[in-house]
Amino acid sequence: MDDFPAATEAAIHRWFGIEPPNDPGRRMAADLVRTIAAFEKLRGTLVFEDEPSSFESALQATKESAP
Amino acid sequence: MTALADLSLTEAAEAVRTGQATSLELLDACWANIDKANPTLNATIWLDRPQAEADARAADLAVRDKRPLGKLHGVPMAHKDMYYQAGRLSTAGSALRRDWRPAITGTAVARMAAEGAYVFGGLNMAEFAQNPTGHNKTFGDCHNPWNPPYITGGSSSGSGAAVAARMTFAALGSDTGGSIRLPAAACGVTGIKPTQTRVSRYGAMPLSFTHDNVGPLCRSARDCARVMSVIAGYDPMDPTSAREPVPDYEAALTGDLKGLRIGVPETYFLDGADAPVVAAMEAALKVLEGRGASVTRMTLPLMDAVATYGSIVSRVEAATIHAQWMRDDPQAYGQHISGRMYPGYAIPAPYYVEALSRRGPVLRAFAAEVFGAVDVLVTPTIASVLPTLADTDIDHGPAGTEHRFMAVSANTRPFNYLGLPAVSVNCGFDPNGCPIGLQIAGRPFAEGRVLQVADAYQRDTDWHTRKPGVLS
Repeated sequence: MDDFPAATEAAIHRWFGIEPPNDPGRRMAADLVRTIAAFEKLRGTLVFEDEPSSFESALQATKESAP
Repeated sequence: MTALADLSLTEAAEAVRTGQATSLELLDACWANIDKANPTLNATIWLDRPQAEADARAADLAVRDKRPLGKLHGVPMAHKDMYYQAGRLSTAGSALRRDWRPAITGTAVARMAAEGAYVFGGLNMAEFAQNPTGHNKTFGDCHNPWNPPYITGGSSSGSGAAVAARMTFAALGSDTGGSIRLPAAACGVTGIKPTQTRVSRYGAMPLSFTHDNVGPLCRSARDCARVMSVIAGYDPMDPTSAREPVPDYEAALTGDLKGLRIGVPETYFLDGADAPVVAAMEAALKVLEGRGASVTRMTLPLMDAVATYGSIVSRVEAATIHAQWMRDDPQAYGQHISGRMYPGYAIPAPYYVEALSRRGPVLRAFAAEVFGAVDVLVTPTIASVLPTLADTDIDHGPAGTEHRFMAVSANTRPFNYLGLPAVSVNCGFDPNGCPIGLQIAGRPFAEGRVLQVADAYQRDTDWHTRKPGVLS
């Protein structure tokens, strides 16, 4: 993980042509290790059939019928 | 004159309708407070008094001629400067759009105009609606009306400050991670983030397609109910808006909370909470119990998933929208804006798709467990006492300031990923004289319910009617 910040900056440059805009940007990009760790904890919860469109149906299914 | 500006939005509309006040008098009253408070607050980006006076005179003529009057007839307003009005400035709080004038008018503004409201200015905001504090590199920071060195909350910073300082009777804000509720809390006003899809986003500057919401900041729950009754509902110009019927939100404001089940999360929302905030929330719960509600302490499910997935979605979408400017002119942004967006380019697409894919199942599981047991959730809107602008200034502060900055919106962001409606009301003041916000969240499309609870609370308390020191 020691080269994570440099690898992240290189990947962003390669894929998007965008450079680190400033030190806060570099720090927050380096902080993605926490996002990865949080995401790892959630592994195995995605169901094969899940798709984004189910959110609107979930709103309808869970709505309050009358105030 | 100033006393007219103390009227609530609904009272002001009634005063015009019944001839007790003219629209021009309301505008003058707002202007007196702008002259008095705005040099301290910096709540506006532009003002257009000549057009506003013309609109006010037209509104007064309609009253004189006994023409049909709308729900907001003759009420002057200013909005977060990201709501498009054809031919008028819409800066999004950024140097990149300093002179930009859209060709279209947004649906929310158009619907309010159809009910008789008119717009006299654009209000300060975080650049592209991207901070929870009110810092702004281009137009200057917005200052808290109760204690100016402290944050207003953001990103609808000018909306919160201007409504609190009686510079406008209401203001539209936008809420992608708390940007209506945070300034409502920090400035001591009432603001509602509607259910995702409840209000059209056509003609509102985008930040996150998945999490963006349009909603009002006002001085009371009743005022929010009035505005919501005007702006909510399906819009063919925004195919993502829901075809859900719009109820009579004001009719739901009965004050009766008998049988209402309130859930208070014992974890996450109170993590690191400051004692004055917890005390204010507990006192508010007593008030609600006095109206017939019962309180249950509970642990909420899935909060790790909500926080992680929500963060991924917001960062990727903001980064995507801003990619061209981030390549071509990154220094045009404040450091905290471009700095926050930058990591969004490194989040892998499968992470983003998984975060989107899980949103429906997470909402279903969350709602089944939580709303099977209670009707609404009550939390602090901001867990800490308000920080100062200096304490949260990433651009000029030491490394680590970003953690204090992000903590401000920790309690509001979850309801954006979940898509739930949530209102913030003032429930007291901290030792620095800054307001404390109480957040009330409900099931999808339960705007009436959360406003009912907020209104019931405001019937027994006077926090929402107090005037900030900047007006004394």
